Amino acid sequence: MAAHILVACGNGIATSTVVASKIKSFLAEKGVDVETTQTKLMEVPGKVENYDLLVTTGQFEGQTHGVPYIHGLPLLTGVGAQDTLNKIYETVKDK
Amino acid sequence: MNIVMDVFNWLIAAGPTVLLPVIITIIGMIFGLRIDKAFKSGLTLGIGFAGIKLILDFMTTNVGPAAKAMVERTGAHLTALDVGWGSIAAVTWASPIIAILIFAILAVNIVLLIIKRTHTLDVDIWNYHHMAIVGVMVYFVTKNIALGVGSSIVMALVTFKLADWSQPMTEKFFGMPGVSLPTVSALSSLVIAWPLNWLLDRIPFMRRNKFSIRDAQKYLGFFGDSMIMGLLIGMAIGFFAGYNLMKIMQLGVSMAAVLVLIPKMTSLFMEGLMPISDSAQKWSEKRFKGRKLFIGLDAAVVVGNADVITTALIIIPLTILMALVLPGNQVLPFADLAVVPFRVALVVALTNGNLLKNIIIGLVVTASLLWCGTSTAPVLTEIAKSVGIKLGANSLYISSFAATSMIQSFAVYFAFTWHPLISIPVLLVIFAGVWYFFDGIKHVNAAMDAQNQKSAHA
Repeated sequence: MAAHILVACGNGIATSTVVASKIKSFLAEKGVDVETTQTKLMEVPGKVENYDLLVTTGQFEGQTHGVPYIHGLPLLTGVGAQDTLNKIYETVKDK
Repeated sequence: MNIVMDVFNWLIAAGPTVLLPVIITIIGMIFGLRIDKAFKSGLTLGIGFAGIKLILDFMTTNVGPAAKAMVERTGAHLTALDVGWGSIAAVTWASPIIAILIFAILAVNIVLLIIKRTHTLDVDIWNYHHMAIVGVMVYFVTKNIALGVGSSIVMALVTFKLADWSQPMTEKFFGMPGVSLPTVSALSSLVIAWPLNWLLDRIPFMRRNKFSIRDAQKYLGFFGDSMIMGLLIGMAIGFFAGYNLMKIMQLGVSMAAVLVLIPKMTSLFMEGLMPISDSAQKWSEKRFKGRKLFIGLDAAVVVGNADVITTALIIIPLTILMALVLPGNQVLPFADLAVVPFRVALVVALTNGNLLKNIIIGLVVTASLLWCGTSTAPVLTEIAKSVGIKLGANSLYISSFAATSMIQSFAVYFAFTWHPLISIPVLLVIFAGVWYFFDGIKHVNAAMDAQNQKSAHA
């Protein structure tokens, strides 16, 4: 079964598209099947429960209801991007 | 030359769904993409535009008659429907002069970096639409390409400098070192917030108060959810239009659909432009290797902050109220209520999270959005029609909280269309003064400047 990742940013459009597609292409190379859904940060608390992982491009201080959370800013700036991708891989590879 | 013009005119006549794939393919190839990748980018944008067009059509045929009935019944003169920044961005990318504007804006960034007058590297091509729309509008009104391009260049200049000057406070408040936010939709509020915050600080009570609302998100959170917001506003418009219950509910669901679907269409634009931004980033990394720069990011990375969301959730309902009572306002707030967090994000950073000041400044910013939006709605509507967006026969205007509704964009647009020979120099002199204040007196980026000095001597 594919892992479901919720990718959130300010408007659910701009930076989340960049991060979601970087995650998808990285995991595709590793042979991990994922589905990403993009959303606004304000809508995260109401949605996150149904996902295996939450990645946000900015600060997020709300409730994740126990869903693992990874900060995705490095995927935008490029600094530490590889570490972040590996962390994401470790989190979802067995889902 | 004639053949070139003929081809170009033919493409314009074919409309943005054909023009966009061609123009973006060319832009992509100039940025070094392979032709198949560039073409796919272009086609993705063309599809995005087709999608936006569908939704706007759906929106105006549904809400148009209702808004008209509401105006007639209640006397609330809200005839300029806020169709959202995404729709405006789509119109911007569909302009025949978009390619020139994009390269002009990029050139401003590169030149400023080379002569060390900015620290912000902004290759987030997608967000150039905020700077480009001013050029598109000036060109549309004046039919003068030089004025159009000039206005976008001034927009770019102002944007990169505002990004520099606001960097220390965004780093401090949001905890993001090495990043600046050259996103006009967030920066523009500072034009109002900086002087107003200074004024408010003269009042000891304003400076010291520590109002806070805990759990605002818990109680007001439903306003932040697009589908709920669309549903409620749609039903309210239907109610005031005197519709029966069935039609009220239909309008509610239709408007919820619009608010959920517009971002999905807009994200196609982002997706299509990503490969181009990527290659621009690779190119510039090579060019400026070893130099410390602020990486320009979309302000989307900071609007998740709890103080920002709290402020926005309070401002959103007040925006609707204000639209009803603000004298002279004709904007009916709708789609862009979803991006109020962007308009207040840097205000929150500036006041260091002082909620009372945030609300006061936020409301003044909102008033400016409504007034500037009202005054430029007719031009924006004409441009939308010129790229083939049908707005029905409801003589409804379109507006948004983006484009020239924002004070920075409005000022530049106004300067370039009023009496250019007088107003452009006035604008530039004022901007030069502000520049001197921040870089010459306050030295806001002193650490970065010092590093540049050192490398210049090395």
